[in-house]
Amino acid sequence: MAEKKISFYERMQALDRRYIFLVVALAIIIPFLIPFNSKTYVTEPSENIYKKIDSFAGRKDRAVLLSFTHDASTMAELFPMEVAILRHCFERNIPVFTICFLPQAKPLMDYALQVAKEGYEVQSGIDYVNFGYKPWAIFVPLLLKMGDDIADAVETDDEGRIVKNLEIMKEIKNYNEMNLIVDFSGSAAGLRWITYARAKFGANVALGVTAVMAADNYIYLQSGQLTGMLGGLKGAAEYEKLVDVFATYKELDENGILKPAPREFSKEIIKESWIKMSDIKNRQHKTARIGMNAQTVAHIMIIVFIVLGNIGYFVSKRKTKKVS
Amino acid sequence: MKRQIPLLIVIVLGFIFAIHTFVPHKVSSDFFDWYQTWIKAISPFMVLLGIMSLTMVHSTKIKRKVPNWQYSVVTMLALVGTGAIGFIWGTQEGTPFMWLFKNVQMPMGATMFSLLAFYIASAAYKAFRARSAEATVLLIAAMIVMLGQVPIGIKISKWIPEISSWILNVPNLAAKRGIALGVGLGMTATSLKILLGIERTYLGGGD
Repeated sequence: MAEKKISFYERMQALDRRYIFLVVALAIIIPFLIPFNSKTYVTEPSENIYKKIDSFAGRKDRAVLLSFTHDASTMAELFPMEVAILRHCFERNIPVFTICFLPQAKPLMDYALQVAKEGYEVQSGIDYVNFGYKPWAIFVPLLLKMGDDIADAVETDDEGRIVKNLEIMKEIKNYNEMNLIVDFSGSAAGLRWITYARAKFGANVALGVTAVMAADNYIYLQSGQLTGMLGGLKGAAEYEKLVDVFATYKELDENGILKPAPREFSKEIIKESWIKMSDIKNRQHKTARIGMNAQTVAHIMIIVFIVLGNIGYFVSKRKTKKVS
Repeated sequence: MKRQIPLLIVIVLGFIFAIHTFVPHKVSSDFFDWYQTWIKAISPFMVLLGIMSLTMVHSTKIKRKVPNWQYSVVTMLALVGTGAIGFIWGTQEGTPFMWLFKNVQMPMGATMFSLLAFYIASAAYKAFRARSAEATVLLIAAMIVMLGQVPIGIKISKWIPEISSWILNVPNLAAKRGIALGVGLGMTATSLKILLGIERTYLGGGD
């Protein structure tokens, strides 16, 4: 009995998924091993977060609150944006508070602080304070109480110190002194800040979310309930670039020594600026931008797969029609 | 009584908190402070309950040697081991707990989430077909948004990020708003039903 001849397209349609997995693995791993320069284009939601945080640089009566509401699974997307925002605050002398309501988030929060602190002479209780882990059950009550008095609501920090006695709290009482609240999550947890802190107390809220969650939050961006949003690795890469171009900008002084010279945000500068990856020595400061290379290749691969799959589908369909 | 008392607690406290939201009186504020102290005291017991439940489920599986009971042993060892390490050396940077978190929990979590990329690629190849006009629109929109999210999109055409942004801000938002409104109305109706004691399925028992 003659064997039925299988065409190339039919064979492609029935391709073992392990080959697809192999191609995707290579498409992701190779750009990590051989980083290349790709220009990061900064979008408005990221710009808005940067501008809002930067607007009170150097003032001790305005702080930024960072809420970590995720576990290690979403770390690849969220960790780089957390480090970038913390670096921005440390670089521009902006008081920072960190808090988490999930036990899994606590080590991530500590790790982000540890990484961001490298190279800065910042002190806990003076330049920043880590409120530590608070149980999920008191998330909303604590969030509401912070609207009256932050120190009263959280009571003690991660090191067990009474928060109201800390130097950083001298000029900060409640959301009125909070320049921006940023919640990092891979879920809808950030909505609580919009519902309570924003709606009841008028606090400025922004989100750092995974790419899959970003589409859910555009409604709040458009309505103005969110000041800004960092969506996935792209958002993190954009913020890393903003910090490098403006906050950590350095200029040569009259003696030819590079000195910090932070710049005001400018659309023209960010549009034209091009940073070579090799110029950034600390890998933690460019993680998202390196990751974007892998994401670019992965997206192209997925598009190629969709196109190939559809070509195969239409060719097979035409063949079946001809036969029938 | 087994049903009436929990029902009464839910109704009374539900109304008190609803009133507290709209009436910023001192009495209401003091009650809220009192409640916060209680919830702080109660919440550790929730963790205890979780640990007890996990231990009971997995110890039964081990005792009965159900299929794949070995995984239950790993779970129990991880629970006891991680807890003990945290209690003995603390959970700060540089402790064995943090080492475990960085070298076990972080890579395992990242691995689980990264599987998504493989399944999306495979599903895109095997199932994402232009079978109808609607599927074709979805397919084209997905490709534009994917290109709009990466630097190469703008290199191909300056319109790609623009169109991607339009897709996310107009058709996506129209659908999301519709869903959000429906969910919001549904939540309000369900909350009212719970407050008024009409909805009782959360008590168990099926009525």
